[in-house]
Amino acid sequence: MKQSKRPSVSIRRQGERSWLPLVLLIVGLLLLVFHESGLLAPVEGAAHYILDPLQRIVSGVVDSGGGVFRTVREVRKLREEVESLRAQVDALKLENVRLREYEAEAQQLRALLNFASDYPISAHLGTEVVSREGCQDFPCGGTLGVEPDPYLRYVTINVGAQQGAEEGMSVVSGGAGLVGRISEVGPRTAKVRLINDPDSAVAALLQTTRGTGLLVGQPDGSLQLQYVPQEEEVRVGDVVLTSGLGGLMPKGLVIGQVTAVQQKEYETFQTATVRPAVDFTRLELALVITGFEEVPLEEVTSEQP
Amino acid sequence: MFPLLTGVALIQTTLVSRINLLGARPNLMLLVVLIWTVMRGIDEGLIWAFVGGLILDLLSGGPLAGIALALLAAAYLAGQSLGEEVGSQAVRMVILTVLGATVYHVALLTILDWTGHTVDWGFSLTRVAAPSVVLNAVLAPLVLPPLAWLERATGEEGLSL
Repeated sequence: MKQSKRPSVSIRRQGERSWLPLVLLIVGLLLLVFHESGLLAPVEGAAHYILDPLQRIVSGVVDSGGGVFRTVREVRKLREEVESLRAQVDALKLENVRLREYEAEAQQLRALLNFASDYPISAHLGTEVVSREGCQDFPCGGTLGVEPDPYLRYVTINVGAQQGAEEGMSVVSGGAGLVGRISEVGPRTAKVRLINDPDSAVAALLQTTRGTGLLVGQPDGSLQLQYVPQEEEVRVGDVVLTSGLGGLMPKGLVIGQVTAVQQKEYETFQTATVRPAVDFTRLELALVITGFEEVPLEEVTSEQP
Repeated sequence: MFPLLTGVALIQTTLVSRINLLGARPNLMLLVVLIWTVMRGIDEGLIWAFVGGLILDLLSGGPLAGIALALLAAAYLAGQSLGEEVGSQAVRMVILTVLGATVYHVALLTILDWTGHTVDWGFSLTRVAAPSVVLNAVLAPLVLPPLAWLERATGEEGLSL
């Protein structure tokens, strides 16, 4: 048999010193500076026209691939039962599995629709349905991509400027659980900074005592309610809501529940650890709030006991 | 090169980044860049790092060129004559992945810090970077064979744009 003379992995190296590292470093730093100054926004927008459809396709393939694996697992389980059950019963069980999938999806969509009726102050822009049925009144999309930078917490949703999404809009899951806010909008996708990103800060309110604070994401992905005055009573189990202060997001969105309170007498404020209401790792459907009535400052402050 | 790196970036953002093992996250683009640098030399590796990094940056919420610069640093290190006396290519890849991935994470955190993002250095290095370095070092020998095949298939000319 004829054998290749080349090694399985060849090592080639240019001996002479190259200017390439320096050139790429300078170009990279310039891009960084121009990006921070916003000068590259049109170029980045143009790049999204190419990348967004590709990401949608790959995401679809990945999701359907995952579906295939799930189906294979289900089939294996069912084969064990085929040995002991009649074929007709098996067919009914397969049908039942499919119906459960539809039921789970229907429950998620119903939760999103309930959100609209439960929050009459929210005025949603009527835009096209992008990927799911049942969201005719507002942009409603599934998550496409996961943040490749391990130190940031974003998700990409498949609604963008063309569907009416804008930077700063709040994103919630079914049941009015706050997911985050849109930080960057492409033509057909948007990046959502999750509330547990270290740079995320949300004006929050304790449901029972109406005490206010600032909910800040932590590097480990947890949430901390900071700047709660010492005189406020914070209890484990208290539900934390958005206060609507600052006008950045609607009032009353569910953020999570207090799991621990850190109170030191010599400090001006106390801090609470909050467990988010949304499981960000299982986020599939999201809803973008495109409009809402801002809460007057007096209304929030007058609520405090 | 562009289609390959775009494909890697899309797989990274849609599939690989979902994996999180006790804080460790596989980084397919980093592994591809490091291995390609070792196989094809520093110049080609740097270009792959820059282009692949920029594509990932466009898909990221972070600063543009942040990942590209971090990958550049890793590729630059991998392109040096480190560990050439080690006999096995796979073992050398593991060593270079540990070094390259460490440099990548430190560079990425530095850039995030510079651009005003909140960075908890202690937590990030011990709970994210360190386990990710180990995981990627373990994965490097698995990514090596397909890239070695590609390297053989493309020959001396390498991949065009």
